[in-house]
Amino acid sequence: MPIIIFLISFLLSFSVAAKNLSVDPQWLALLHYQQQFIGADESTIDSDNFFLSPDGKYDAEAELQATVNLFEKTNDTEKKCLFPARYKWLKKQGLLHKPFPKCPEWESFYDDIRPAGATLLFTNAYMNNPASLFGHTLLRIDTARKGTQLLAHGANYGALTGEENGILFAIYGLTGGYYGGFTVKRYYDVINLYNNIENRDIWELNLNLTPEELDMLMAHLWEVGQTQSRYYFFTENCSYMLLELLDAVKPDLKLAQQFPVHAIPLDTLKAVYQREGLVKHINYRPSRQNKIIYRYRQMNNQQKQVYKNIIKNQPIDYQNLSETEKAGVLETAYQYVQYQYVAGNLELPDYRKQSFKLLKERSILSGKDNLQELKEGKNPLQAHESAQIGIGFGHRNGTAFQQVNARPAYTSLLDNSYGLLSGAEINFLNTSFRHYDNDNKYVLENINIIGIQSLSPVDFMFQPISYNINLDLGRQFNPETQKEGYGITVHGGAGGSIALTDNIKMFSFVNNYLSYGGFLPHNSWAGLAPQIGIYADYDKWRLLASVEKIFATSRFADKIKYKAGFSYDLSKNTAIQLNYKFNENHGHDEEETMLNFQLFY
Amino acid sequence: MKKTLLTVAAVMSAAMFSANAHAVDSTGCGLGSLAWRGQKGPIPQILAVTTNGTFGNQTFGISSGTSGCDPQGRISGGTGSMALVFLENNMEQFAMDASAGHGETIDTLAGILNVDSKRLGEVSKQNFATLFPSENVDAVDVTVNLLALI
Repeated sequence: MPIIIFLISFLLSFSVAAKNLSVDPQWLALLHYQQQFIGADESTIDSDNFFLSPDGKYDAEAELQATVNLFEKTNDTEKKCLFPARYKWLKKQGLLHKPFPKCPEWESFYDDIRPAGATLLFTNAYMNNPASLFGHTLLRIDTARKGTQLLAHGANYGALTGEENGILFAIYGLTGGYYGGFTVKRYYDVINLYNNIENRDIWELNLNLTPEELDMLMAHLWEVGQTQSRYYFFTENCSYMLLELLDAVKPDLKLAQQFPVHAIPLDTLKAVYQREGLVKHINYRPSRQNKIIYRYRQMNNQQKQVYKNIIKNQPIDYQNLSETEKAGVLETAYQYVQYQYVAGNLELPDYRKQSFKLLKERSILSGKDNLQELKEGKNPLQAHESAQIGIGFGHRNGTAFQQVNARPAYTSLLDNSYGLLSGAEINFLNTSFRHYDNDNKYVLENINIIGIQSLSPVDFMFQPISYNINLDLGRQFNPETQKEGYGITVHGGAGGSIALTDNIKMFSFVNNYLSYGGFLPHNSWAGLAPQIGIYADYDKWRLLASVEKIFATSRFADKIKYKAGFSYDLSKNTAIQLNYKFNENHGHDEEETMLNFQLFY
Repeated sequence: MKKTLLTVAAVMSAAMFSANAHAVDSTGCGLGSLAWRGQKGPIPQILAVTTNGTFGNQTFGISSGTSGCDPQGRISGGTGSMALVFLENNMEQFAMDASAGHGETIDTLAGILNVDSKRLGEVSKQNFATLFPSENVDAVDVTVNLLALI
């Protein structure tokens, strides 16, 4: 009888303890439970094999019981080996007594990585592609191996894609058509991909983890490494999943819950940086292109001349260069040849011939070259916040109006570009409402659903294309019928830009317009529009002005557009903007001036 | 709301992104063989942005140790194999560091081979022509030459 009472009380106390522990933040984080917009909490992870209880995705207590059961009452080594982090945690809570089994795969994973720390990596945008302006994050498990961190491993969360064609590829990525999963690769592969192939800077945020936390990170990485979750480009993306991973190790961080709607990689980086004591130090690894530019700028005139001749593949004439100056030229030229090959501008045999020639020359010169390596960049953590609201006051053809605008992401040419890519714009759902005084009307003025611009200057080394693409839903005025209505317009084009100075660029585009709206004559119009403009980007202010002539199928859309915008920073996250617009349209001219106050948050 | 936004964005993207996602070819194990590992050209890069994708099936774990460049097994032993795998993936950078006599890949190799990195830099530079006898040298040759030098 006493034994039965003892057993009952033991079981009762166990289940009470389990009940309390099942709502422990770390247990919930280990299961990746998150609050939902509607309904009960559930796990982000979608793989069945991640849950031991049939209700595990929704019931943390059932999952805890099932996990204790697995380790205490079964001999299912294969399953046990999938959950080293849960074991560690439950053991620490005193719920587990049996030893963790021998798991060769998990152990060799641990031994191969040989962890010494963890570093959050942020890869910045790259020139030819402002769509990458959002950046990307991955996690490096630093290694204790002798040598350098090149031998460390990066853990990357991304969509697992198939052989779809391009359109499906993008649609699936955006709408959850793919599953996402973790993959692990050597840090040198990460560097080769981002620094050398895509020409993106890498920022390394070294994290402050205790040895115990690092072990937990490894163990939990192993757990989620075997699972998949639906991948959403805006929400459950690369950066978001890393936050859930860090939360599982340090539940006090509460990182993931800060991003319920969209997780922009740079925003997640800022969130990590803002957690006190979490980031130990920051290191910058420039892209190949930035390295080349930095080295070229340090060259003296004679070096520059020799360098230009070499990369034009002319016979090498060193003139009066010293050995260290020659070395500087050759090493830079070699890197440029690598760039050209990756860009697809050189065939393999030519690439090999040129590379080999340069290095042979370099190897007979003694000593270091005379050029410094690029060690510091513009820290993206210092960039303006990605969401923005604004209030504006203006006049249109003599009528006063007030405007409110909001934009969830990300940056426009008139915004401060520090820490971002100068000359690159990516706007998402930039929405403006107006009130016009004369008829006391409130209207949705425009939604710039997506707006991308890239002004990448062409020079003797790099020849990127500049381009812009926009999708707008906005009000259009038809002077012939005196009617205003909504139209949806796709417009964009390609062109080129040149840098007059470090801060000033000139650009020209040939744009195409396609517009559809029920109130329009024939419901639609199309247009072709050459455009030229100038863009100045300084620390405190920006100026963007352009002229565009639209040749349109519909007379009312046929116009010359003059635009100028000026923005001045009041602080890092506030600015005032002055915009002027004049549209010349067969006697139905439109003139608009607006002063705008903007807040980034 | 979330779904609507995503759908709108998807339709938009469909207009922007169109091309085949991947083209993978192998250019062997010499200088420049690295390039196929990345996505070449602007269109695959743009496509890659929405997914940060990994092509094909997920294989979680470490693929260390075995080289695809040495079918005849000219290099044996753990250290040698590690050096080979490293060189296979870092030939371009190592070639430059060797010609200059210093650099990150030299430091890394010195760690793998357990030798002094300054010394390795000097030896590599002095024997550059031995390490890289021609422009078509492959990673296995370079590793064999390197192991013979130290």
